[in-house]
Amino acid sequence: MSPRRALAPLLGLVALAACLRDPPLAWPPRAPGSQRGGVLRLAAPDDVPTLDPALGYDSRSWTYEQHLFETLVTYDDQSRLVPELAEGWSIADDGRTYRFRLHAGVTFSDGTPLTAADAVGSLERVLDPRTRSQGAEYYREIVGAADYVEGRAPHVAGLTAPDATTLAIVLREPDPLFLHKMALLFAAVVPAEYARRLGDDFTDRPIGSGPFLLREWRRGERLVLARNPRYRRADRPFLDGIVEQSGVNGELAWLKFLNDEIDVSGIPPADFPSVRRATDVERPGRLVSGLTLVTNYLGFNCRMPPFEDRRVRQALNYAVNKEGLIALLNGRGTVAQGIVPPGMPGYASAATGYPYDRERARALLREAGQGAGFATELWTQSSDLDLKMSQKVQHDLAAVGVTMEIRQVAWSSFLEAIRRPNTVPLFDLAWSADFPDPSNFLDVLFRSSRVDANNHTFYANPTFDGLLTRAERLRDPAARTLAYAEAERLLVDDAPVIFLYHPIAYVMTQRRVHGYAIHPLLPSRFTDVWLAPEPTGAQGTSAGS
Amino acid sequence: MIPGTRHGLLGVGLAMGALLVAIAIMGPALAPYDPTAPVAPRLAEPSPPGAPFWLGTDDLGRDVLSRLLHGARISLLVGLVAMVVTMTIGTAIGLTAGYFGGVVDVLLMRLTDVMLAFPGLLLAVALVAVMRPSVWTIFVVIGLVSWTGVARVVRSEALSLRERDFVLAARALGASHARIVARHVLPNVAPTLVAIAALSTSGTILLDAGLSFLGIGVPPPTPTWGRMIQEASAYYRVAPWLMAFPGLAVLYAVLAFNLVAYGLADRGTSAR
Repeated sequence: MSPRRALAPLLGLVALAACLRDPPLAWPPRAPGSQRGGVLRLAAPDDVPTLDPALGYDSRSWTYEQHLFETLVTYDDQSRLVPELAEGWSIADDGRTYRFRLHAGVTFSDGTPLTAADAVGSLERVLDPRTRSQGAEYYREIVGAADYVEGRAPHVAGLTAPDATTLAIVLREPDPLFLHKMALLFAAVVPAEYARRLGDDFTDRPIGSGPFLLREWRRGERLVLARNPRYRRADRPFLDGIVEQSGVNGELAWLKFLNDEIDVSGIPPADFPSVRRATDVERPGRLVSGLTLVTNYLGFNCRMPPFEDRRVRQALNYAVNKEGLIALLNGRGTVAQGIVPPGMPGYASAATGYPYDRERARALLREAGQGAGFATELWTQSSDLDLKMSQKVQHDLAAVGVTMEIRQVAWSSFLEAIRRPNTVPLFDLAWSADFPDPSNFLDVLFRSSRVDANNHTFYANPTFDGLLTRAERLRDPAARTLAYAEAERLLVDDAPVIFLYHPIAYVMTQRRVHGYAIHPLLPSRFTDVWLAPEPTGAQGTSAGS
Repeated sequence: MIPGTRHGLLGVGLAMGALLVAIAIMGPALAPYDPTAPVAPRLAEPSPPGAPFWLGTDDLGRDVLSRLLHGARISLLVGLVAMVVTMTIGTAIGLTAGYFGGVVDVLLMRLTDVMLAFPGLLLAVALVAVMRPSVWTIFVVIGLVSWTGVARVVRSEALSLRERDFVLAARALGASHARIVARHVLPNVAPTLVAIAALSTSGTILLDAGLSFLGIGVPPPTPTWGRMIQEASAYYRVAPWLMAFPGLAVLYAVLAFNLVAYGLADRGTSAR
């Protein structure tokens, strides 16, 4: 889920039938006093790009994929790995052989049994080049994957189902992150034969074993999920269904929320100060917040002058007032001291960041021979908020003599440009963790060998690379954490980016909504969400029409 | 319409325009604060009009009055320079087509039709996307998309002037085409040109505001009215004044130049 923004939605043709008035969706009647029942009403600006777990790689798609499908392992609320479809697992002493025991008697929502062969087929489907899955790279380390990808073998040798409830995976090398890769939605178990038959149409008629099933999806209009009656856990989900309207921007969503047309909404910046100041009773709903594993930063191209000089990069780190940026966000963030977000499970950062200090910034610039200042260019995306933040940074840098032009670029061109050498001197980006592991920030963003992937700063420091290599070979978690913390300290000192902030997510839910939480890593999950019963019991009978 | 009323409008328009020019020249000196500096005590919470920020502050904590005053200079500058570009292109093409007629006329007018077929704002957006946004780009882009109307009017004037006796006489005396256009046709088109120029200025101010509103006008930190409106749009419910003041400023400028244009056009027709 690396890019901050959801991928552009696939524009489907709107069926002519959409012109006709739909009959209201029928939901089962609700037993009085029960936690069970009711429909969660949501709204979003764009449609969901895809519901095919092999293809989705953005938070919008994952929001719904995680309710239609299950992975063998997943994360609890603190981002710790816990079993989901697997009852348990074992890792052989060589660190390369994994055995997952699946729950017995699980069926897909269409009634066909889910077996270990489906799990094998699902991973093969992701690896199959014809699927064009961006997740394929995560599973290439399985023994025989290369032969399968290049068509030399009909199956992946290291991926087997000894019996209906056992999945065995053999890796070429030990990989401490492999279980995390199995928690990604790319590894969701789909009915392999059915998915293969449908090909690209699987996204329209997905079948999984998750708590919900797809009831209706009109592209650009609405997405409706209903409870999966065959779900493995009899006590979940509480909701009868979820309805999401698309084409509702943040401002409109808020007005709809105030009008009780939807149950969950973000809070527009303009309204946030008054919402935050209000007491709980005065607020229009329940305020839910949570820190996410995200870091916002301004990346330097460390090969473009004057940013090849570490002192200049440090100077700019001192020159930017991060508290001011957070104030612009209505306080929805914490200052970043390093690149790894606080709340990373099992990690203790030792980075101390850069306080806002214009004098030190000027002194460092003088030392670097840039005392007279220089001109540079910040590339940013074209959203309102990005532009406002950029103007704030522009003003901060002007105070130390740096003239910064703002260049607003569309998201896709932006991503392309920052990959090119000697093109973008300074860029505004965020990284959202794929796995709850410090390497997902330190290694993915800054290892010198990653310049073709996500190292857009072109930062290259052999000492830093060496620390990463040492850390990833350590099996002892405490020693591993210490090694990564040391790498991060070095990174902060080298300052290949301006460390800005970690955003805090806030949403407002209607008071009858319970169990809604912000997950640090995943989109919010609705499996545990329940609605307090309405006195009249009329709730949800024609939601979302 | 009573002619006197129209002439009155010209006076009002000129007075309004003069005030605008005065503000544009002295604006930065009059502005109480740096238009790009956060001066309000709090960010992300626009403060309402009142001392010490007479028109309030925006979400970046900047003084709205100071931004408006600085923005006047940019708006007027873009309006006038882009008008000059527009008028130059339009007059050159219009005069050439109208005076020479024939194939030249057909070719130039079809070109004009093709340009007219593109919605102006859309064409401007496309052009800005190709070039880099800067004040100079905006001058050129606005000129390139708005010359067509000028060309048509000038062409029709030139078309009738070329058959007039004084032009025929000049031609009989052996005057060159350049001399006839410069000495005989252009001076006679001038009254119309002045009226179009005034109208075109208000058009370019509006187009500039539109481009700024779309985020592709003169880039920040330069304060522009259009961008102020755009940036205020997220706050229209909690801080409507943020949008109202720059909106009124655009309205004022456009009204001033429109009044001048109508006044001039009316004087032109009644004098004939």
